[in-house]
Amino acid sequence: MPREDRPERSERGPYRKYFAPKRKFCRFCQRDVRGIDYKAVEILKKYIPDRGKITPRRITGTCSFHQRKLSLAIKRARLMSLLPYVED
Amino acid sequence: MRQYETGFVLSPALSEEETTQFIQQMAEIVAQRKGRMVKQDVWGKRRLAYPIKRHEDGFYVFFTYDGPGDISTEMERRFKQTDSVIRFMTVKKDPRDLIRRRKKKAARAAAASGEEPARAAGGNEEK
Repeated sequence: MPREDRPERSERGPYRKYFAPKRKFCRFCQRDVRGIDYKAVEILKKYIPDRGKITPRRITGTCSFHQRKLSLAIKRARLMSLLPYVED
Repeated sequence: MRQYETGFVLSPALSEEETTQFIQQMAEIVAQRKGRMVKQDVWGKRRLAYPIKRHEDGFYVFFTYDGPGDISTEMERRFKQTDSVIRFMTVKKDPRDLIRRRKKKAARAAAASGEEPARAAGGNEEK
């Protein structure tokens, strides 16, 4: 994403002064989750919209520790045919 | 002693009897090699995310066990020989996941907050 498209940086006009973008946070940290299980399909599904691709951190706000665990879990789930590799 | 989790998908073409028999055999391998079965999770028939060997459904079984590493080697050897196993995977369980969570849980219990456990946390505790 080019720099000028980033909402936090560029849109510092009067609008942003009153309506700051909603702060993202890691949903796994919030719930004190350590490891992410590849069998918990319902949780993993939230991170693979439409096309079945893993949503990047910058969109979901997941911390790097949990994003690593998450991507591994999704890849394991794909191998076991719990989640699709591609979806259209 | 390490903890492992082996999951395998059986062909839906197997009869119920054959399925239970196969699961029984695999459980015996764990017992024979001085493993301790922690959890035997039979999900049953479930739709596959994509077809494998022309199968649309699969019978999911997950074993969690403690023991030496040769259990999984032996099981995987059997899986490869058996045509009705369409997928299998062994995962080493990270002991840190278990310990840290227990600590946190204890801490939370000590705080004695009446908060109900979050949904995501509940899903992960199956591990």
